[in-house]
Amino acid sequence: MARHKKGKALEEDEPVLDISSLIDICFLLLIYFLVTTTIVRSETDTNMQLPAAAPSDDIPEIKPMFIRVDNAGVIFINSGPAQERLDDDPESRKLPMLAERLGTYADGARAAGQEPLVQVYVDGDAEHQRAIDVIDTLRSKQITKVTFTDLVN
Amino acid sequence: MASKRLRAANSKEEEGLAVDMSPMIDMVFLLLIFFIVTANLVVVKMDKRVQVPVAENSTPQEKKTGRIVINVYGEGVDKDGNSLAHPSGARFSIGDQTFTALPDDDEAIFEYIKEQKDKMEGTLKPQLHLRGHRGVEFKHCRRIIRIAAEAGVDQVIFASYASSNAYK
Repeated sequence: MARHKKGKALEEDEPVLDISSLIDICFLLLIYFLVTTTIVRSETDTNMQLPAAAPSDDIPEIKPMFIRVDNAGVIFINSGPAQERLDDDPESRKLPMLAERLGTYADGARAAGQEPLVQVYVDGDAEHQRAIDVIDTLRSKQITKVTFTDLVN
Repeated sequence: MASKRLRAANSKEEEGLAVDMSPMIDMVFLLLIFFIVTANLVVVKMDKRVQVPVAENSTPQEKKTGRIVINVYGEGVDKDGNSLAHPSGARFSIGDQTFTALPDDDEAIFEYIKEQKDKMEGTLKPQLHLRGHRGVEFKHCRRIIRIAAEAGVDQVIFASYASSNAYK
């Protein structure tokens, strides 16, 4: 008799499970992830080593590629009579022509056992975004040896 | 009937011992989340008035220490009509809680970067974390890069967004 009652009491106790704290925690985590993913858009890094402050005495064995960005955001490569006008839409974040030329140049340099070397000159009145476009294209081609010429404006 | 009474007796007995853990767990989680959020935000403070450029090949911020944050402000208003300039009209500010303006003076900017660099001497590798507005003329950013180079900080990190639809 007594054993029977005890068993019944246990059975009745079993289904009682307080899940409210679990729900609390789930909601908290949900809110946390909502907040961190939508409101705070995380910024990313575009790293660059400044050679101006880390000069090297070695004379480069390879002719560096020269990239110029003018005040309207048009990209040119080479200088003097060999100058070529490449991507000229400052609203586009992609620089397909520059990317192609850089790819050819980088492959050629690497085939010769050299690291590709690039000089960048950005006009002082060009937009910051345009300079980042060029640096981003360089990074996409794994070109890390970059010189910013003429840091004085 | 008997079982109800039994349970009532049992529950009375348990009342003295049972400790409800759920509010404590709630509080622990709240504190945990609070510290996670603040720990991430304190190191690189972002001024929302500076709209950083888009760079699709940029990498997520890994090390957030050792960064000397400098904001470079542009002009105009954003799509909600909020001014993008620094309230004091300054071109540059540092990455502290209130985005204290830097004077428009090479010497003062040099002093600030040098001071920050000396603070990290021997413990961290100082890096210039440049948060330039995407529309600002590059000469302002270049000026900061040049001054940082003079102060001996040769590693530059341009803040950017990896997604091309950040401003759509």
